[in-house]
Amino acid sequence: MIKRLILDVLKPHNPNLIELAEALSNIEGVEGVNAIIYEIDQQVENAKIIIAGNSIDFENVKKKLEEMGATIHSVDEVAAGKIVIEEVRTPQDRAARI
Amino acid sequence: MQFIEKIRRYIRISEIAPISRRYFVMNAFDGATTILGIVLGAYVAEISNESWVIWSGLGATLAMGLSGFVGAYMTEEAERERKLKTLERSMLKKLKKTVVGKASRFASLWAAIVDGLSPAITAVVCLTPFFLSSCGLFSIDSATKVSVAMALSIMFLLGVFLGKISNRNMLIHGIKTLSVGLIITSILFMLKTIQ
Repeated sequence: MIKRLILDVLKPHNPNLIELAEALSNIEGVEGVNAIIYEIDQQVENAKIIIAGNSIDFENVKKKLEEMGATIHSVDEVAAGKIVIEEVRTPQDRAARI
Repeated sequence: MQFIEKIRRYIRISEIAPISRRYFVMNAFDGATTILGIVLGAYVAEISNESWVIWSGLGATLAMGLSGFVGAYMTEEAERERKLKTLERSMLKKLKKTVVGKASRFASLWAAIVDGLSPAITAVVCLTPFFLSSCGLFSIDSATKVSVAMALSIMFLLGVFLGKISNRNMLIHGIKTLSVGLIITSILFMLKTIQ
C-alpha cells in the first residue's frame, strides 16, 4: 500500500501544472497532490510531484502522467505500509557528508 | 458534457483560441466582402433576377468555405506536426497518443472548421434578403439595399470585435473595417454612374 510518492517528472509546458495536478488527484486512491516546477527549458519543464493517498497505484499514476505527455525521470521517495515513516537523519548520513 | 470538457481541454492545451479568433475575423470579413462585391456587381450590371445573385453568392460561399477548410487544415497540420516533433525531441519520446498529440490533431481540425465556416456563415447571412426576395417577400431592389446594409454591419461588428479583444477603441476599429466596405461600395457606385 503506497501512501506517498515523490516523483521527478519531465513535462511539456502544456498541459500546464494545474491540469496535471488535477488529473493526478482524480486517480483512485490519491487524496492529495503537490506539484512544483523547479526548472523551465524552452520546450519542457521539470516538476517535483508529491502524491499522497491511502492506496496509490503506481501504474495508474505512471499511465496518467504518460497520457498527459509527461515522463517520470525518477522515483525520489516512496512511503508504503500502514503508517508513513518520515526520513530521519542517522550518524551514517553525517559520516557520508564528512 | 464530457465531450465539451474534452474539447475545452484540447483548445487550452493546443492554445488554438487566439489563432481561431484570427481565422474567424479574417474569413468572416472575407465572406461579407465577397457577397458585398457580388451584390453590388449585380446592381451595377442591372441584374433583375435574384437567383443569379443567390447562385453566384452560394458558389462563392462554397469555394470560400472549402478553400478555407482545406487551406487552414493543411497549414495548421504542417505547423503543428513540426511543433510536435520538436517537442518529441525534447521529451525523448513519442507524443502522438498522449493528450498533447490529440490536442495537436484537434487544433488543425478546429482551425479548419472555423476557417471554413466563418466566411460561409457571413455570406449566407448577407444573402438572406435574396432568399426572401425569391419567396416574394422583398423586391430585388430592397433585397440589394438590405443585403448591402447587412454586409456593412457585419464588417463594422467584426471591427468592434477586434477592438474588444485588443482592448482598444471599439468604435474606431468598427469604423476602420466599415470603411473597407464603404470604399468597395463607392467604387462600384462610381462604376455604375460611369456606365
